[in-house]
Amino acid sequence: MLTLANIDVVYGGVIQVLRSMNLEVRQGQMVVLLGANGAGKSTALKAISGLLHADHGSVTSGRIALDGAEITHADPSVIVKSGLVQVLEGRRVLEHLTVHQNLMIGAHLRTDRAGIRADLEKVYEYFPALPALQNRIAGYLSGGEMQMVLIGRALMARPRLLMLDEPSMGLAPILTRQLFETVSRIKREEGLTVLLVEQNARSAIAQCDYGYIMDGGRIVLHGSRAQLSSNEDVQEFYLGLSGAQDRSSYRDVKHYRRRKRWLG
Amino acid sequence: MRPTGISFDSFTAEARVLETRRARVWLLVLCAVLLVLPFVSGPWLLGQLSYAFITLIAVYGLFVTVGMAGQINIAQSAFVGVGAFTAAKLSGLGVPFWIVIPAAALITGAISVLFALPAARVKGFYLALTTLAAQVMFPIVILALPMSWLGGLVGMPVVAPKLFGHSLGGPKEFYWLALLFAAVATWCAFNLPRSRLGRALRAVHDNDTAASVMGIPVTRIKIEAFFAGALFAGVAGALTAYFLQFVTVSSFTLFASVWYLGMLIVGGIHSPLGPILGVAFITIVQEGLHKISNLLLQSDSGIGGGAVFSLSSILLALCILFALIFEPRGLAHLWHTTKTTFRLWPFPRN
Repeated sequence: MLTLANIDVVYGGVIQVLRSMNLEVRQGQMVVLLGANGAGKSTALKAISGLLHADHGSVTSGRIALDGAEITHADPSVIVKSGLVQVLEGRRVLEHLTVHQNLMIGAHLRTDRAGIRADLEKVYEYFPALPALQNRIAGYLSGGEMQMVLIGRALMARPRLLMLDEPSMGLAPILTRQLFETVSRIKREEGLTVLLVEQNARSAIAQCDYGYIMDGGRIVLHGSRAQLSSNEDVQEFYLGLSGAQDRSSYRDVKHYRRRKRWLG
Repeated sequence: MRPTGISFDSFTAEARVLETRRARVWLLVLCAVLLVLPFVSGPWLLGQLSYAFITLIAVYGLFVTVGMAGQINIAQSAFVGVGAFTAAKLSGLGVPFWIVIPAAALITGAISVLFALPAARVKGFYLALTTLAAQVMFPIVILALPMSWLGGLVGMPVVAPKLFGHSLGGPKEFYWLALLFAAVATWCAFNLPRSRLGRALRAVHDNDTAASVMGIPVTRIKIEAFFAGALFAGVAGALTAYFLQFVTVSSFTLFASVWYLGMLIVGGIHSPLGPILGVAFITIVQEGLHKISNLLLQSDSGIGGGAVFSLSSILLALCILFALIFEPRGLAHLWHTTKTTFRLWPFPRN
């Protein structure tokens, strides 16, 4: 469904953030993109949704395609129209608008009033906390409520592929779990394809069908949920299942770190 | 959040501009008072109110561009001037006023797009400079054109508007004309934030990256914000031309643009009620200061005209400064909190 082939992204004409990145998201899958801070995960999502220009970045080579049609340098509104919607990181609700207005902004490109109304009801059903807040100014919501509004707003655009950028950022573990459960339910019921960027690797891998690990602006590892869960590097660096107790000497630890760096 | 006692059983009812029956009754009373006012008041008050209505339309334009879309515009007076000169030229060619006013609005809108194209790509300080360029260019262009076109330095006379052979140039008739346009502008300003375009404008204001990720074409929306703001300015300009029955380039200065902004800020930048309160407040203070200035000049105080003018300007600026310090969200917010306090009394608001 979505293909990134040899994507290079450069910021300000000098800082190269993505290096020959390759990624594939298949129809109906939930794909997770993991990586340390600064690995280039958010940049990858921005490159896909055409938002790089806001940070003076650009795709300098490679090709991004959605269902075979190239969207590499397309305008964000064209990309949204083609069914690809991103939920930005950092709870970017429109803070002077009410919850209802925020949700309606999601349907900006749609003209089917009945469909919009039905989708609004569906969003309120997925997030039962929102109907009581529909006239609340979004800037005054809690972090978890904001995240619900953001996902609801994206759903109002009726996407085929939903990209979530660190939805669990700053949320309590119980809220994170509920959020991932809701995303899984939406994916299942709406037949959505999801590309998820997360720091919370354990929850993300538990939900995904396929995963990619990024380091230093490139994909260093990819595989199915089972492959990722059983991978020694992933266990060591992302799941906290350290094998350090088996590597008692400094030499062993250093060797292990080197091996991981080599992967990157 | 609304105080206890006001509840709704449908979202449509909740989304209404006038939420309660009492508010609707008050609006009807206000409309009736405004309509019968010419029968009980003199030409001076009608003239002041007519000019206040015209100013209100221009400030509504700023509310759309600055308040809703967050695009700073310090050239509103120039856009009003474009509307005024368009109206003067067209009325001189014998075009009836009901064609002149929409034509002036559209031409002003089209000219604003020329400046909006570069302005939509810059932000903050640079955007302010771009609109300042429009304000500075306006008199230069008018004066550079042949005198036979737009009157040059001398200006142009304007033929009074006529409807079915009756002149609308008299104080009463013009008052009703200005009131009609102010009412239409008010309806537009109050309903625009509830529309699809209004939501897009406010989304761009709040966070243009978040807006673009939802498919809102940010650059186009910014240009539309300038266009919509200039439509109001064009109408205000055409009405100014008919009101003064003469247009000169010196009537549309940077000073006036700053006053329009001052009215919006004092009234409240985020609410359509802001322009009404801002225009009312600044107009009343301005007129009060004029009266005091005249009294000072007529007395034996020995203060010269220049000093009185400077002092009144300083006092007006101080009024704005105090309004900003004590109610930075504008008089509209003060009105809202006061109303809520009365509704909840004797319980505390917070």
